Amino acid sequence: MQLLTPLALAGGLLALPILLLYMLRLRREEREVSSIMLWQQLLQDTEANTPWQRLRRNLLLLLQLLILAALVLALARPFITVPAPGSGQIVLLLDASASMNAADVPEGTRFRAAQAEARTVVSALGAGDRLTLIRVAQQPQLLASASEDRLALQAAIDSAQPGMGSADWPAALTLALGGMGQDGDFTLVIISDGGLGDPALLPELPEKVTWLPVGRSGENLAITALATRRRAAQPAQLFTRVTNYGAQDAEVVLSLKVDGELVASAYHEVAAGADLPLVVEALPAEFDRIEASLTLPLASTVPDYLEQDNRAWALVDGGAGSRVLLLSPGNRFIEEVLRSLPGVDAWRGDLAAGLPREPWDLTILDRWQPDALPAGDLLFINPQRGNALFTLGEPQEHAQQIGLDEGDARTRFVDLDDVSVQRWTPVVAPWAQTLIEADGSPLLLAGEVDGRQVAIFTFDVHRSDLALQIAWPVLMANLLDWFAPPGLLTARASLSVGDALQLRPPPGAEALRVRLPDGSLQDLSLARRPLIFADTQQPGIYTLEVIESGAVTRSQSFAVNLFDSLESDILPREMLFFGQTNVAPGAGEERGQLEFWPLAALLALLVLLLEWIVYQRRRGLTLRLRRS
Amino acid sequence: MAETRVFDERTLRKLEQVMLWSQRARAGAMKGERRSTRRGTSIEFADYRDYAYGDDLRRLDWNVYARLQRPYIKLLEDEEDLALHILIDASASMDWPPAEAEAAGHKFRHAQRLAAGLAWCALASNDRTQLGCVNATGLVSFGPHRGRGHSLRMLAFVEELRTAGEVDLDVVLRGQAMRHTRPGLFVVISDMLTPVNLTEALNELAAAGHELLLLHLLAPDELEPPLTGDLRLIDVESGGSREVTVDAAMRERYTQRLDDWRAQLRRTLLQGGGHYLFVNTDTPWERVILRDLRGMGLVR
Repeated sequence: MQLLTPLALAGGLLALPILLLYMLRLRREEREVSSIMLWQQLLQDTEANTPWQRLRRNLLLLLQLLILAALVLALARPFITVPAPGSGQIVLLLDASASMNAADVPEGTRFRAAQAEARTVVSALGAGDRLTLIRVAQQPQLLASASEDRLALQAAIDSAQPGMGSADWPAALTLALGGMGQDGDFTLVIISDGGLGDPALLPELPEKVTWLPVGRSGENLAITALATRRRAAQPAQLFTRVTNYGAQDAEVVLSLKVDGELVASAYHEVAAGADLPLVVEALPAEFDRIEASLTLPLASTVPDYLEQDNRAWALVDGGAGSRVLLLSPGNRFIEEVLRSLPGVDAWRGDLAAGLPREPWDLTILDRWQPDALPAGDLLFINPQRGNALFTLGEPQEHAQQIGLDEGDARTRFVDLDDVSVQRWTPVVAPWAQTLIEADGSPLLLAGEVDGRQVAIFTFDVHRSDLALQIAWPVLMANLLDWFAPPGLLTARASLSVGDALQLRPPPGAEALRVRLPDGSLQDLSLARRPLIFADTQQPGIYTLEVIESGAVTRSQSFAVNLFDSLESDILPREMLFFGQTNVAPGAGEERGQLEFWPLAALLALLVLLLEWIVYQRRRGLTLRLRRS
Repeated sequence: MAETRVFDERTLRKLEQVMLWSQRARAGAMKGERRSTRRGTSIEFADYRDYAYGDDLRRLDWNVYARLQRPYIKLLEDEEDLALHILIDASASMDWPPAEAEAAGHKFRHAQRLAAGLAWCALASNDRTQLGCVNATGLVSFGPHRGRGHSLRMLAFVEELRTAGEVDLDVVLRGQAMRHTRPGLFVVISDMLTPVNLTEALNELAAAGHELLLLHLLAPDELEPPLTGDLRLIDVESGGSREVTVDAAMRERYTQRLDDWRAQLRRTLLQGGGHYLFVNTDTPWERVILRDLRGMGLVR
């Protein structure tokens, strides 16, 4: 033990006045007794009459001297030298990713262990050291900035909570390195279980990096995939995958709940370090949502330290995608554009098999058409013959002047200046509106007839350079939006924890709110555009509700899952990799000073309390004896 | 003392029925009302023994001889009187507790009543009774007297007694042993709070033929002193003082020392064939006579 201010020990001289006061104060009360014979015999053995020995037996004096000693020690600021992760300017990155919820440490969870480590780092801060605290989750969060205030830092550490998703380490490290000063006295402290992701994406690190690892075990079982698929004239199919990240073979119980009701629960063996893919077909004919949960049998001795990845949710058919059937002898341009458009569930049909029986939102008939037109919306591309909807004219070649209806939403942002069409067959359809024309005859028509929407390209895209222009995907996107108005969501119906998604409220929406998995409601402001919802911290089913005229008129759900092998693979890493740099656990340790003057001050307070109790008891005893 | 009546009427009537007796009967000058262990000429039958040559034929039991054809001598109990000596310690330490002179727990008042009670019984039993009281001014005594006729004078004598100064009990007891008084029951009523070892003096009294009874009086606040803190204790008898810091541990050691001291006094008395009775002045004095002394066989 060393002292920061040893001069304060001179305060110990205050013991002299205390002793002096005691000797002066020690005026004994005179009391008559019938005889002092017995007292004399008693005292001969135990007490000499010197002032020092008289003082020695005084408990109150001893306690007061002890208080003084403790206070003097506190003022002298004693400290011991401890290993410290750094000095000067320190940036502490506290991993708050989902894997930090693993309960394989005595503190409860890895995050609690990390908090304890962080508190130790704060305790070992020397004079003048400044610490910046960053919580590393989906978005890095600055909890304290270059602070010397240990209490504020401890409070910031205590207030931090673990996240439920992955951690954005590149962003967090970039933020941390942004605070690096010019003097070079900079230390980066990382408290993590090591799952930092792709080393190539991480920035170059400063010279002093300390990694304080947490976590002990890699034993974890997780649901790493869950998806449903709607099938023609059959119940939907479920695909799920259970992964055993641990080193022991495990038996698990996988339970499925469909719309809240348990429909299946079965035992499965999952080998150590292996995946178990499962396909479930015995599902009800109609349902909306499905929840899978993973539990261990009661007799199981295999631990499963991370609970957060033991449940997963899925919505049937992935939500509100538009089902499109392409019937074509082969058209790469259309297939590519359909694949690239969000919200489109495109399928290619077999011309030899004819029309499928189930209904489709949109059927694209490319250079081919059946005898009987299918139900639903239709998009004709270069029709080879007329039908009930239109008749064909004489083929034309070499379009000279191509114009479009600029006021129509279906041709918005479409630029046809450099487009040429080699050959086209004009179509006569009185119900249709001409959107694009060449030399007075239509190249693209669209309209509603017999209660359905129909559009017709009168040329083969292979005989035009339109498909090579930027106008092609824009035009197709506009058309598909016209065929099937977009859903409320721009993203797919299954997201990862922390993902953001853009919302598309309908024009008449008065209010928009999201029902979170825990049942709470979050109102969204319609004034902000684009409307982004990013509070997807809880795994589960979220429901977006549109309120019009005071009532919920539309709703759409989406599922948020922790399907992240980096988080579910909780095995603590042995080394951190940053590009070309490797960091070993605890590397770069320095020496710090751990002061414990608060302990001495606390001791002084406790002894003061004890002294007061002793005094009050003696006073009470004296009064009682006098009364008796 | 403000209170003149040492005994009330009810207690006096009880005491009249109480007889004092000594376990070891002593030869008396006059016939008393107390039975002697010496077989004598009274009409009370005691026992038989075989006839021996020279025995008085008048004491042969002829009826037994006629029935058994063997000669037996009939033994009769003799009766004799008892000599009772009572010595009251009237040193200043007996005037305690000071504020409670009229209370039941006052040591000297207790001693007066115990002494008067024993003497009253002895006089009523026609025993030879002598009462002494010693304080700083010297020894005053009453008797020896015998018979109820002296009872009222005895009471008046006891009531006049006062405590004063220091008393050297060792000297007083040795003086009593050297006086050629008639051996009998010698009762010492004292708190024994004297720094001198009284073993020698007590042994001398026993050697003089007395059967010793020490009534050791202590007040409740001497058994458990109501003292705590840093004190200067002043001895009311000697005026000496002693500084002491009293805490729970010290009080415990005091109690232990007191117990050892009482045990030592008891051993001393029992080794000399005497009796020791510790009396807490909280105990009613008549209970000491009627229960404790009767239990020890000194009163019946």
